[in-house]
Amino acid sequence: MAGFFQKFKGAGSGTSKSDNTFAKNKKDEPQQDLTPVEKLLHNAGPIREDGSDKFFGLENFGNTCYCNSIVQALYHSEHFRTNVVNYPPPSPWDDPNSVKRKVNVTIRPPPQANGNAAGSGKPGQPPKPRQSFSGGQLAPSVGPTRPEDKPDSPEYKKKQAMIRGPVLELAQESTDPYGMEECTFTGLKDIFTALIDSQSRTGVLSPQRFLDIFKRNNEMFRNSMHQDAHEFYGIVLNDVIANVEANGKRMQELAESRRKDDPSQPAETLSKSDSTAATRAPGTGWVHDIFEGVLTSETRCLTCETASQRDETFLDLSIDLEEHSSVTSCLQQFSAEEMLCERNKFHCDHCGGLQEAEKRMKVKKLPKVLALHLKRFKYTEDYSRLQKLFHRVVYPYHLRLFNTTDDAEDPDRMYELYAVVVHIGGNAYHGHYVAVIKTKDRGWLLFDDEMVEPVDKSFVQNFFGDKPGMACAYVLFYQETTFEKVREELDAEGVDQMKMANPFPADLATSAELVNGTSPAPLSKLNTQPLPPVDENETLVGLEHVKSAPTELDVTSPIDALPPPLSSYEAHPLVAAPPPPSAVMTKADEAATVPPKSKEEIAREKKEQKAREKAEEKARKAAEKEQARVAAKKLQEAAQKIRETARLEREQLQKAIQESKQMAADEEKRNKKEATSGERPASSEGSGANGFLNRAGRTSKSMTRKSFAFLHIGQHNNSTSKEEDQGDSKADKTDRSEASDNRSDRGESSATEGNPSRDNDQPPPRQNGISSAKRNPSFTLPVRPPPRSDTAPGSVEQLRQDKQHKEKEKEKPPLKERFSFALGRKKSSRFLSPLS
Amino acid sequence: MFVLPPPPRYPSQQGYNGMPAGQPVPMIETNNVLTNPAGPEYQFLVGEGLYVLKEDLHLATPPPHPSEAPVVNPNPLATAPQPATTGTRLSLINLDVSPLSPAFYRTTSRSDGAQASIQEHVEEGQSSSDVRESSSDAGRLNSSEAQLVTSNAPAFGEGNSLLAPTSQKDAHKRRKPKNNMAKSSSSFVSRVINHEALSKRLQERPRDGLFAFANVNRAFQWLDLSSQMKAEYLTKILFTKAHCLCHDVNKVTKSSTHIDVIMGFSTGEIIWWEPITQRYTRLNKNGIVNGTPVSEIRWIPGSENLFLAAHMDGTLVVYDKEKEDAIFTPEDEGTFRTNGETGGTSSVNYSSQIHVHKSVHSKNQKTNPVAVWKLCNHRINAFAFSPDNRHLAVVSEDGTLRIIDYLKEELLDLFYAYYGGLTCVCWSPDGKYVVTGGQDDLISIWCPSEQPPNTALIARGQGHHSWVTSVAFDPWRCDDRNYRFGSVGEDRRICLWDFSVGMLHRPRAASVRQRGSISSRPGFVPLQRADTSATAGTSGSGRLRSDSSLSAAGAVDGEKEKVLPHPVEPRATTATLPPVLSKIVDDDPLCWLGFTSDAMLTSCKTGHIRTWNRPTELTPQLEEKIDS
Repeated sequence: MAGFFQKFKGAGSGTSKSDNTFAKNKKDEPQQDLTPVEKLLHNAGPIREDGSDKFFGLENFGNTCYCNSIVQALYHSEHFRTNVVNYPPPSPWDDPNSVKRKVNVTIRPPPQANGNAAGSGKPGQPPKPRQSFSGGQLAPSVGPTRPEDKPDSPEYKKKQAMIRGPVLELAQESTDPYGMEECTFTGLKDIFTALIDSQSRTGVLSPQRFLDIFKRNNEMFRNSMHQDAHEFYGIVLNDVIANVEANGKRMQELAESRRKDDPSQPAETLSKSDSTAATRAPGTGWVHDIFEGVLTSETRCLTCETASQRDETFLDLSIDLEEHSSVTSCLQQFSAEEMLCERNKFHCDHCGGLQEAEKRMKVKKLPKVLALHLKRFKYTEDYSRLQKLFHRVVYPYHLRLFNTTDDAEDPDRMYELYAVVVHIGGNAYHGHYVAVIKTKDRGWLLFDDEMVEPVDKSFVQNFFGDKPGMACAYVLFYQETTFEKVREELDAEGVDQMKMANPFPADLATSAELVNGTSPAPLSKLNTQPLPPVDENETLVGLEHVKSAPTELDVTSPIDALPPPLSSYEAHPLVAAPPPPSAVMTKADEAATVPPKSKEEIAREKKEQKAREKAEEKARKAAEKEQARVAAKKLQEAAQKIRETARLEREQLQKAIQESKQMAADEEKRNKKEATSGERPASSEGSGANGFLNRAGRTSKSMTRKSFAFLHIGQHNNSTSKEEDQGDSKADKTDRSEASDNRSDRGESSATEGNPSRDNDQPPPRQNGISSAKRNPSFTLPVRPPPRSDTAPGSVEQLRQDKQHKEKEKEKPPLKERFSFALGRKKSSRFLSPLS
Repeated sequence: MFVLPPPPRYPSQQGYNGMPAGQPVPMIETNNVLTNPAGPEYQFLVGEGLYVLKEDLHLATPPPHPSEAPVVNPNPLATAPQPATTGTRLSLINLDVSPLSPAFYRTTSRSDGAQASIQEHVEEGQSSSDVRESSSDAGRLNSSEAQLVTSNAPAFGEGNSLLAPTSQKDAHKRRKPKNNMAKSSSSFVSRVINHEALSKRLQERPRDGLFAFANVNRAFQWLDLSSQMKAEYLTKILFTKAHCLCHDVNKVTKSSTHIDVIMGFSTGEIIWWEPITQRYTRLNKNGIVNGTPVSEIRWIPGSENLFLAAHMDGTLVVYDKEKEDAIFTPEDEGTFRTNGETGGTSSVNYSSQIHVHKSVHSKNQKTNPVAVWKLCNHRINAFAFSPDNRHLAVVSEDGTLRIIDYLKEELLDLFYAYYGGLTCVCWSPDGKYVVTGGQDDLISIWCPSEQPPNTALIARGQGHHSWVTSVAFDPWRCDDRNYRFGSVGEDRRICLWDFSVGMLHRPRAASVRQRGSISSRPGFVPLQRADTSATAGTSGSGRLRSDSSLSAAGAVDGEKEKVLPHPVEPRATTATLPPVLSKIVDDDPLCWLGFTSDAMLTSCKTGHIRTWNRPTELTPQLEEKIDS
């Protein structure tokens, strides 16, 4: 048991040293050269088209792990990946010869890296060496002084990953392959496409371009400081939504303009415009379909007993943590009844004025992907900074929501945990993020920047928060599944284990020294079982038999029991060989119990043992071969299946497009009537940024929603929110009530509840302002507190501190806001997105 | 591009296995501490009165073994699996004749209890009190007879003559384990410390006093809870590296000169320990039978020698404490091996049967294991024997509850948790209900004898704020209609639950039927058989009957209906039970809960054993209830 895994691990650390300076220390088998991930994939069959077999690390450019972990989690959401890659659907006037796939190839491997993953491993110079990477220098030649020189350290593994390559880098100047302007979405799409198109299953991808684009649009990330992964996640999603919508809009306008240009061919244009509209109708809603859920907040006025309901959309839930609780319980708390009183009084329409009220929030529509943000960063007055909560919060592999409304569809929906973004560090300003992700059929993997490593299933539950090392789960991604799938999977886990377990005992037997080894086992790979520590000095134990056991030896000695099973191994070479007694132990036993043991006997035993070992070795190899064959076959079948489903999906998509074309045509007609006068000023400009202005009138408002939140941060109620904090330690609740609070501040009473049209009416002017402000940095800068924006990369720690000191007053509240961002966003969304 | 120097990525915050982060690793051997905290936070009010904390016994966490200093990996992302460990759990035993739990339920619905067994013994020429009281005589009881002591359900493995004779060699004395603990040179046992006045303490203690065995980290302690100096252990064993994860005391063989304790370890090994003579035997040495940690271990009810261990790979193994180990090859080559070869394309179906890798009826019984059953490939978290000694309820990490007829080695039923793994299980004293707790923070009450269209899931209890770790019925507060059980969880809470058949919103017909005698119930065949054989009375007929049923079972084996897993009940149609009490009673996650006649005991991850005295005065209604 021990041995196999050890080799496994050894392989992990010894990776890619094909020059063999290092491989000496490891067991010398050729496959040792593989990294654990490669080993995991070594019989993976043909490359898949859906990208579910790509396990790339992402390069870190200094504190960009927040981005890496989130991008990995997004990539490994099958829904999201598929949709990103398939959007926008090819438009009809694109050159039919330019296959979509081809257009998307914007990757170039660095000159040194060779494309062969299992490769010759000439240490390639990473194109963008990080500080810690000393170019292509070989580590082993240097003494193990630096962390990255120790083969077991993550630093070493990351470095090896870079050296091993291939390092994919996206072209600096992304052209216009998707018919979209360069934006967060295209950046993300580039990454995804590059990974899917890669001929290697492993390697490192440099997300620099994506980050550049992202930072261009979000200036508070424009520094090299530690950032909040959850915040990043929220903004990326909102950006993607905005980009997609803007594009849909643009396509529509483009179609219109084309039609105008081409009055001579009414029939054709009509069909063309159909399809353009189609790109929007089926296309733009997909992000919402995946991540968006609906919360119903029910407020009951304690004065007049009137209950009012209001629906709000959310992209994730930020939940407060209690000590020694579970995610289930925290979610229940999230939906627990809450009193709106004192400063948070509720404006009741019925009896008029601010009243005390009871409020509770329940989930009405369950999202496909449920992102749970554990609020581990808490703003505390006495420390005047964000403290990290190390509460033990347990999270199960599967989840159902208890806090659903009575009319929710499928309230017992089963979710499975598929990704955990882990924050390591003592506070919100420092630390590291990694992602632990469940892959489609390769178990759980740890994505730590450049490094990718398969991990035991139980590893996932190492981040409850109470373990040493300050590593805590920070964002949990649950995706929808069904009970049947879960059962199937759990059973399959078992089968895999059996397969792995079978060759395993033999392995143990052949390498006797491994009995005493550190012993992680492949068996436990998918298992939840922790590893049994093995007694080191077993040999001594035999002595104890001297006193009491000798007479029994002939009857029950394990040695006597040996031959029969042994022969059965030979008869069934493919069968799992159970572990023969550890040679050391039995010998010692005998030596102790039957001192006058003849030499021949010992020799015979040795021989026997050798023979046994041989037989087992043989059996093991045969079994391995067989398994490899079977696995390959299975994979092929699976791939076939996937292709099949992909085809089906395509067909369905086509159908959907057809349908929507029809719908769009109708709409188009209507629009035409209204819009002929050029009702929307932006329509002629057609760019994403300007198209933005029109968003107020559109259905999905997430982006504006976000911008609203930004406004909130930047100019509005720095002081208010702080006060609120003092009043209510439960940040979440504060946030929630804030929404209503703000509303009342502005005289927007809750009369708007259940009246989306009115919701729409009120905020638009404001939204538009912010939206454009946000898109136009020069406009934005004065709005936002400066410190974040101009912390230039070159600034020194001290400078930063200075600034922080200076800006303390301004800085803190926004920070606090930042971490309760999702809810703020969620709340404000109410104004903006009438439910579809 | 200038980059800020990264902060120390993995701050070295040491962690000692079993200790929560932040607590200092003990460097020297310390003593147990007994405290008596008082105040409103150390008491709680339930319907029957006020439970008050009597004392808090904190078991000292031992320092790491010098040669086995814990490998502290500062990297929290280290992928090497950690060795298994667990919080403190207790095994309680008193040497008195009177059983640990009250007898009232035995005469009501459980008809195969103590009375029947006493009758049997009269007929067989040995009184049960002989067995329990006179240690010198006790040895005369051979194992096959001893198996009949507490139940007239057929003894486990009865009919296999190979099982009986092994222990008949020395009929004069109860056999002790082979090795002297104190003088052992084993590297497995690091140190054994006896109390200086051990023998005196043993002599002077009240006969009905409660012994407790408790694990904490790598230590295992034998405590006398009836003693004034209970903080001072009678014996403390320190193991070198292995952690004892579970333990049990044999209720059949206990006497003032002999106590059989069995311990399961994180290394998969098992130690049979006899505390009074301080001798031990090590089983499954080096994991020769099964190398995965033992998560739960129990003596098979009524058996002197046989015990059941749950290994973390989903295997249940029956061992004989006196047999040598041998390498184990599954005997049912048919199912197991073909699966291995075809790589899982043929179905390894764990949902319709258990895979008997070695049957108790196997002809090869010279060595351990006696029987091996593979249930699933996931960790088995707990199991419990039914009070009628015929069934086994097993819960595992994959969220399944299995009801097994362990005498026939058959899976009877399979239920699923709402979500997440199931962590603990227990039977109601009358054997009608099974209660489980799990990672869905829920308590689930099952009635395995319910037939469709009624669901076996009676109710779900919502009251914990985190995973449930232990459930136990309070037999002193149960009668044939009303049940009281408690649960503890990672949320540090204890929850007490009351339910009665009428209280839960069941269809009227079903509840009426449940109230009636089970023997008149046509539904659940195995349970019914238990009843009838129990009422049959004499052991002779009981045995005959069971033999015939066993052989009959063998005959119909091929055509027996497939066990159909039960679908998960949606929340909307399931009764929800609120706790009658939910209170945080410790500073660390709780691991274990037990009831005695005068107290409730809880233990936690870091070794606090808290004794909560029951309300002193009983209300009239309660007395009435108990009397009736």
